[in-house]
Amino acid sequence: MSDPIDAAAESGRSALTEPEAKALLGERGLSVPDGERVRSPAEAVDVAERIGYPVVVKVASPSIQHKSEWADGIGVNVNLEDDAAVRSAASAILEAAADRDVDADVLVEEAVDLEAGLEVIVGGTRDPSFGPTVLLGLGGTAVEVLQDTTHRIAPISTAEALEMTEELEASPLFDGYRGGPTVDRLAVAEAIVTVGDLLAEREDVRDVEINPVLARPDDAVALDALVTRTDDA
Amino acid sequence: MSVTRLFDPGSIAVIGASDTPGKIGYEAMRNALEFGGDVYPVNPSGEGDVFGREFVASVTEIDDDPDLALLCVPAAAVPDVIEECGEAGVGGAVIFAGGFAETGGDGEQLQERLIDAAESSGVALLGPNTSGFLVPEKNLYATFTTDLETIPAGNLAIVAQSGGLSYSLGFRAQNLGIGVSAMVGLGNRANIGFKEAIEYFDDDERTETILLHVEGTADARELLETCESVDTPVVAYHVGEQDVGDFAESHTGALTGEYELYKAGFAQYGVPTVRSCAELIDAGTALATCPEPDGPNVGVVTAQAGPGIAITDRLKANGAVLPSLTEETQDVVEEILPGITFSENPVDTGRPMPEFGEVVGAVARDENVDVVLVYELYEKGLGYPVETLEEVVEDVDKPIVFASGGPERVLDEELPKLEELGIPTYRTPESGADAVAGLVQYARRNADPNVDDAVSGVTADE
Repeated sequence: MSDPIDAAAESGRSALTEPEAKALLGERGLSVPDGERVRSPAEAVDVAERIGYPVVVKVASPSIQHKSEWADGIGVNVNLEDDAAVRSAASAILEAAADRDVDADVLVEEAVDLEAGLEVIVGGTRDPSFGPTVLLGLGGTAVEVLQDTTHRIAPISTAEALEMTEELEASPLFDGYRGGPTVDRLAVAEAIVTVGDLLAEREDVRDVEINPVLARPDDAVALDALVTRTDDA
Repeated sequence: MSVTRLFDPGSIAVIGASDTPGKIGYEAMRNALEFGGDVYPVNPSGEGDVFGREFVASVTEIDDDPDLALLCVPAAAVPDVIEECGEAGVGGAVIFAGGFAETGGDGEQLQERLIDAAESSGVALLGPNTSGFLVPEKNLYATFTTDLETIPAGNLAIVAQSGGLSYSLGFRAQNLGIGVSAMVGLGNRANIGFKEAIEYFDDDERTETILLHVEGTADARELLETCESVDTPVVAYHVGEQDVGDFAESHTGALTGEYELYKAGFAQYGVPTVRSCAELIDAGTALATCPEPDGPNVGVVTAQAGPGIAITDRLKANGAVLPSLTEETQDVVEEILPGITFSENPVDTGRPMPEFGEVVGAVARDENVDVVLVYELYEKGLGYPVETLEEVVEDVDKPIVFASGGPERVLDEELPKLEELGIPTYRTPESGADAVAGLVQYARRNADPNVDDAVSGVTADE
């Protein structure tokens, strides 16, 4: 596969699509849900059957970054249980895209049980003064309200990234607070390190945001990902 | 770029010197004359002499190559004058005038012209838009403000982004009877910035700690790397907590504000941080005076419960650890003071007493303790345990910090006896705790990552 950042640059796009961003991060060692990008409802059903139900069906287009708000909310469809639901979701996405004259594909992914983990946000941004930086925050809708985040100048070591997980106010939630799952801090730390390394190595990357990362007992999986390019790269 | 000729000159040219009291060119001239080296007043329209020195029409007409030029001229004239300084072999220049990059637009262009004018000749520029610098030990006052000779010589180098704030710090130190090795306002940092100043004062043998004030810089990574690379401890006061990041489309951008990055960055690069001028000086004096702390474990000894509780509260909020004392220490303490109020940590003797110094000594010798903080109100009949503490200081290579209260006249007389032992003193429980917090942050943030102890704390300090 060609480098998705270069591919985005060649087609003059400022952001990678979600499948591109996930492929990039997956190659660098992050866990991503099993999934494929398709161009028709029939292909969507084939992929869903290969992966096994339930699945998620999402719009995938470089011009759509807020997928869940796009086209009256049809851009993200979770927990689809059968062929009919997948076919209908994929058709709706492709029709809405055609209506809006948007070049869009459909991403079919295995559904992930959010109850089985803790949602965190792992991100990184290229600051004009500090250079590459990374952040870890409590995820889900809480991130906007609580702003429970911690920062580092990147790149950083795994040990430093582990400390970040301990600095969050929400840190006890990693340890199975009140019956919740005890989740894999090390996997979260490795995701932060990966984001920091990507920004340090690739000056053409401006922002990376994995929101959410679902931290689970044995791994941390990137459920959504956004990678943007520097304007002049 | 000769930063040394700027900060340690043998001769000074005052460009725009004036014989009219109240003018910058007059005040700068008067200040410059305090310094023992040659001082040349330069002014093309100057006639005769000023303070007994004959006016020279241009800096290029001085026989000598002046090391330092003080530019008391309007902003518009500055680039041309700097070009002349280059021709005249001047090493460094202080530019007082404002109206450069800080005003945007035309001012930015003027600053570009200034930088270009200095580039070929390599003149080091302090400012523009600065109040200058001073080095009390050398009676060197490269500035136009008054009453600076009251600031005593000492071992703290103040490096402030703002000239005004450098004075706030300098005079605060003066009020506390604390001396400075230098006080510098960087201003617009045309070609001398944080890096050059920090590296210079790291090499300066009078400087034991650098007090840094930062509002913001275009190359914060360079600033952090410089702080990490120098041997002299740096304590930083970054202003701007209420700033928020620019609008950004991702959460990451919106959640990554400049203040958070300075905070995280200073912690990551080994720099203790404070939240006020007062704390900057409190922490700075402790770092400059005390042996380097080995860790964040503080033993508190107090003669009064209330101040001890206030100290403990503040220390814990700042990431200090109050370890249990060894059984051996507890036995020693209880032997000295049977039925003592509280022989854990903090140790509370309940009141000043003749054995107080011995209790401090026992805690200082405890292997679990890295830093000792003592609080004792002054009591006339007892005085401070100076002799006992002298033995302790000789015996134990750990920071010992002393906070007290009493009539000002008495403290002025008595506390210097402790200061002479290398024990920094403070006059409120909180300022003593803030000083120790600086030591604790320094120890944590510079801990060897291979030693487990270093990462045992679960605060945001590492």
